[in-house]
Amino acid sequence: MIRRLIQNVIRPLKSLWKTLSRPAQYLSLGTIAIASFVMGIIFWGGFNTALEATNTEAFCISCHSMRDTVYPELQGTVHWSNHSGVRATCPDCHVPHNWTHKIARKMQASKEVWGAVFGTIDTPEKFEAKRLEMASREWARLSANKSLECKNCHSYKSMKWEDMSPLAAKQMKAAAERDQSCIDCHKGIAHHLPSTDGRSHQLLTAVNISVPEVGKNYYVVLQKPVFMNATSKEEAGMLNIATEIAVTDKSDGRVKFRLEGWRKRIGTGRIINEDFGINIKEAELTKGAAQSDAVVKVLEEKVDDVTGLTWQKVTVDLWTNDSELTDNVSGMWEFASTTYREACSQCHSQPEVAHFDANTWPGMFNGMIAFVNMDDDTQNLVLKYLQLHSSTYAGSHAQIDDQHNQSAKSPETALPLAKRQ
Amino acid sequence: MTIKRRRFLQGILAGSSAGMLPFSMIKAAEDSDDGNGILDDGWRVTGSHFGAFKAYRANGVVKEVRPFELDRNPTEMLKGIQGSIYSASRIRYPMVRLDFLKNGYKSDRSTLGDNRYVRVTWQEAYNLLIRELNRVQTMYGPWALYAGQTGWRATGQFHSCTNHMQRAIALHGNYVRKIGDYSTGAAQVILPYVIGSTEVYSQGTSWNLILENANTIVFWANDPLKNLQVGWNCETHSGIGYLKQLKAKIQEKKIRAISIDPTVTKTAAFLGIETVYVNPQTDVPLMLAIAHEMIVNKSYDAEFIRGYSLGFKEFKAYVMGDTDKTPKTPEWAEPICGVPKAKIRELAGILTTGQVQIMMGWCIQRQQHGEQPYWMAVVLATMIGQIGLPGGGISFGHHYSSIGTPSSGGSGPNAFPLNPPEGVEPIFDNDDFNGYSKVIPVARWIDAILEPGKVINYNGGKVTLPDLKMIVISGNNPWHHHQDKNRMKKAFHKLECVVTVDYAWNPTCRFSDIVFPACTQFERHDLDLYGSYAQRGVLAMQKLVEPLFESRSDWDIWREFSARIGRHQEYTMGRDEFTWLNHLYDGCRTKNKGKFEMPDFPTFWQQGFFDFGEGKPWVRHAEFRDDPEIHPLGTPSGLIEIYSRKIARYDYSNCKGHPVWMEKEERSHGGPGSDRFPIALQSCHPNKRLHSQLCDSKELRETYTVQGREPVYMNAKDAKKRGINDGDLVRVFNDRGELIAGARVSERYSPGVARIHEGAWYAPVNAEIGSVDTYGDPNTVTLDIGTSDLAQCCSAFTCIVEIEKWRGTAPKVTAFGGPKVVEV
Repeated sequence: MIRRLIQNVIRPLKSLWKTLSRPAQYLSLGTIAIASFVMGIIFWGGFNTALEATNTEAFCISCHSMRDTVYPELQGTVHWSNHSGVRATCPDCHVPHNWTHKIARKMQASKEVWGAVFGTIDTPEKFEAKRLEMASREWARLSANKSLECKNCHSYKSMKWEDMSPLAAKQMKAAAERDQSCIDCHKGIAHHLPSTDGRSHQLLTAVNISVPEVGKNYYVVLQKPVFMNATSKEEAGMLNIATEIAVTDKSDGRVKFRLEGWRKRIGTGRIINEDFGINIKEAELTKGAAQSDAVVKVLEEKVDDVTGLTWQKVTVDLWTNDSELTDNVSGMWEFASTTYREACSQCHSQPEVAHFDANTWPGMFNGMIAFVNMDDDTQNLVLKYLQLHSSTYAGSHAQIDDQHNQSAKSPETALPLAKRQ
Repeated sequence: MTIKRRRFLQGILAGSSAGMLPFSMIKAAEDSDDGNGILDDGWRVTGSHFGAFKAYRANGVVKEVRPFELDRNPTEMLKGIQGSIYSASRIRYPMVRLDFLKNGYKSDRSTLGDNRYVRVTWQEAYNLLIRELNRVQTMYGPWALYAGQTGWRATGQFHSCTNHMQRAIALHGNYVRKIGDYSTGAAQVILPYVIGSTEVYSQGTSWNLILENANTIVFWANDPLKNLQVGWNCETHSGIGYLKQLKAKIQEKKIRAISIDPTVTKTAAFLGIETVYVNPQTDVPLMLAIAHEMIVNKSYDAEFIRGYSLGFKEFKAYVMGDTDKTPKTPEWAEPICGVPKAKIRELAGILTTGQVQIMMGWCIQRQQHGEQPYWMAVVLATMIGQIGLPGGGISFGHHYSSIGTPSSGGSGPNAFPLNPPEGVEPIFDNDDFNGYSKVIPVARWIDAILEPGKVINYNGGKVTLPDLKMIVISGNNPWHHHQDKNRMKKAFHKLECVVTVDYAWNPTCRFSDIVFPACTQFERHDLDLYGSYAQRGVLAMQKLVEPLFESRSDWDIWREFSARIGRHQEYTMGRDEFTWLNHLYDGCRTKNKGKFEMPDFPTFWQQGFFDFGEGKPWVRHAEFRDDPEIHPLGTPSGLIEIYSRKIARYDYSNCKGHPVWMEKEERSHGGPGSDRFPIALQSCHPNKRLHSQLCDSKELRETYTVQGREPVYMNAKDAKKRGINDGDLVRVFNDRGELIAGARVSERYSPGVARIHEGAWYAPVNAEIGSVDTYGDPNTVTLDIGTSDLAQCCSAFTCIVEIEKWRGTAPKVTAFGGPKVVEV
């Protein structure tokens, strides 16, 4: 059978090549040149037509993965139907208008086509499982171009502040001053947010997702697994939310990072904390990683007299996926501050953030968590926010003191102190 | 998404005939304020702290109340619902205290408590309130206004009155707030140091696992059958169901249960179990002696102590007497705690045999040094070594809001937001508290009024008590929950203005200057989480009747206030009652997406209930036990801290680095002061009220009062010695005050122990300081000191009294029926 195939396919190809490779016998150079030019136009036109065809909504929804998921989601939003009758379709937001970017985006998108054809996102369940990864890529793209596609229609200059609520006006003005990317705050405006095991939808809308670069520092947006090297599938532990990491290397879809922190010298030293003597979790490692000299380097040891336990200052070098990282943690603290203010005032006034010290907050927070609706990521983020803005970092230890209450109000002015000695 | 009210109601009415079970009998309440004014008769569904129920109304009146189908253990308290709606004590109109109306903030306060009030219009009441708020903010500052004394508001997430009042007041100006509460004040502070969480308000090990695995259950100062009748949200009473199962297991001899208490509790009587009588306030010596016995016998779990705790060495040295030359032997403990030494040894044996679940009640931390019994209980549980096992270890909440019923994993609806919208500044934006603390430990507010500027220790820091001049209270009754009423009277003489919003003319109204009439929770639409910890479902609360008299919902009261100060939009966010309910419901629906597919709001409202179902069994601290490194406790070390260096460094005389026995300021059974006042007066949570709620309900009240007075339960020997018979009126007194109560003589109370349930409405015969309380509030005579420099919470159980038969004619009860209305 294979032989038949070779005979039927290869032979004609061979003879065609012979014809083509032979110098022209009957046609003049001019004819060939003109014919090539015309052919070129036809080909180019065809390519562009084909390209444009891929830029229509009809093409986008021609496969199931789009038609059954993000497309109907769009239909429920204001971008689909509104009182002025203007509609934004798929390419308006997802295809750059500039040609080079367009081609680049097309190359990128071919991965989704690949995915649809070869089955990584060909069912709604699989699509859902990949949604965070795909959305992260699109958010990072829009963050990087300051949401150019949104701004083709929306412009900060044309906004009427007085028609907005005081809070909206305040936030939009601040965004306008920085020419902030729309997507930083408006994730999920046209499609459902990734729902990955109840992980925080709203949190994703509060931060910009960065494309990490070597030599820069980033914060973890959602708790994420870490790995021993660039390719290993075996997890070496977990990075806690809002942990700062320094990216030291990069390889297909992963980054190598360095984490600085402290750990107790008990057990196998698996929990890495932000600060000496203070239980603010940065990461938890597997036993293997925690005890590997290649991963953890001990810089110094000190005894914490509040517990009598020995703590080690360490660096940790590991790998993680390059997604869900941000270079701007303030959006996360703002989200945490608002969440705390809202969720913890259901039954009573929420305690002032600086009312407790960093090591007391876990006990207070855990004690009341039954009454608040927070998923695991949000709980970890809010707890970390409370700890980093607690009396420990707000000045003296006095528990109830006026000057400490500022941090509850304005997360920007009371960002966690740089890691202390 | 908003829905037009009329269309929405049409939808409800159409839907209600569709015959959806189990609510086929329910007709949704029609809202009359859209003008049609006609309300349908029929069944509606609603909920309360006392459980969910259906009510039948005819001709605009609630005629019948029936428990909700899912409630398998409804309680007698439902009998109080109608009595509460139609109570003679309802606040009918806005009222102002006579002398305050004449003289404003310079009024003669010595007449406070004489209960003479003038009816005013809503407009007049608002004008007075706003005038006073403006005055206090300009004349003094935010430190002079206290709007922080909050508590058990009626159920319903939207109309939650605490949130309405605090949001509205915060739109006007800043004010002093509180931290902690009266119920578990000491526990909330000590337990995070020791076991890494407040514990008292946390989900506990599931009852079904306890019933399967425990060999022994110890109820320590704990009466769950009594306290599980009420819950923070709408109560399911599932906890009572588990107690019934426990009773069967005890009868089959599969589980042994013991109650350690000065009385035979309702639970102990129901289960038919042994009571080990312990003298009031002496649980710590008993526990120390048990620990001593375990150490001597080496029966404690040394391996668990090594792996999961710090500081046993320091504690052991104290128990063995190495540090104070007093070994804490059973022989040492017996004369203090009254438990025979043989019994103590037996208890040490029982606690170290098989699987033992200790369940602590809250009463014993509401006493001087209330931190100690809780800390010591954790130490005992650590020595037993079963923390984190199913059916082992220690719990502090199985008597509360059906803790121990597995959580469904569903999310309940959020409440109306307590905080003003972000970015909105109050009209009086002064945030300078003049050096005073802006947050005070809740039980120290009377100290603040009496001794402003005093600096007190609190939880490792200092608090400067603010100079309070004005107080705003809503849905809270501090004239029930605070100690020493005559001291409170003195303090209130120093205030300039007190404003109360409530639906019933409780004792707090009677010590207020301006009183606003709120409607009951049954006179408005709302929604609630069904089962605080079980999270069983979401319950519609359909209005049963229109607000009676001139009462208004809290939403309406504070909405108009906000409009009058120019903050209506900020207050309401442009929503009306139904749009808010819809909004809160939609938020809940979104949160549950992927876990529970909830119907849209109109469908839900018509169905009345969305069921999340039952949750999966769970073991408290199992993760910690499994891997203490990855799942550390919230203590500084991450381990159980038998010795806390952190507390030791505070260097407090009344709370040291590990639990110790300290003598109390006053104590029965041979303790200080017992020669003059030999009887311990315990003021535990009531059996037929929620604190002071439902005391206004005559029908329910009459099932327990004695000659119209609150009962005082006492031992037969004590009664006989004093010539008191069951049913007599008695005088309960000490140097702080006196009250009249009705004697209930019972063998279930050990000699030297008396109980009056807290929440009885304080009803002084007149305005004078020291005047007799005619109904029987135990807090008339309790002691007002902090538990210690650590928690500074209330010490209501540190109280001794004498009781004698009332001679002559007793003054009439002045608690109920509202104010004496004066015409001007």
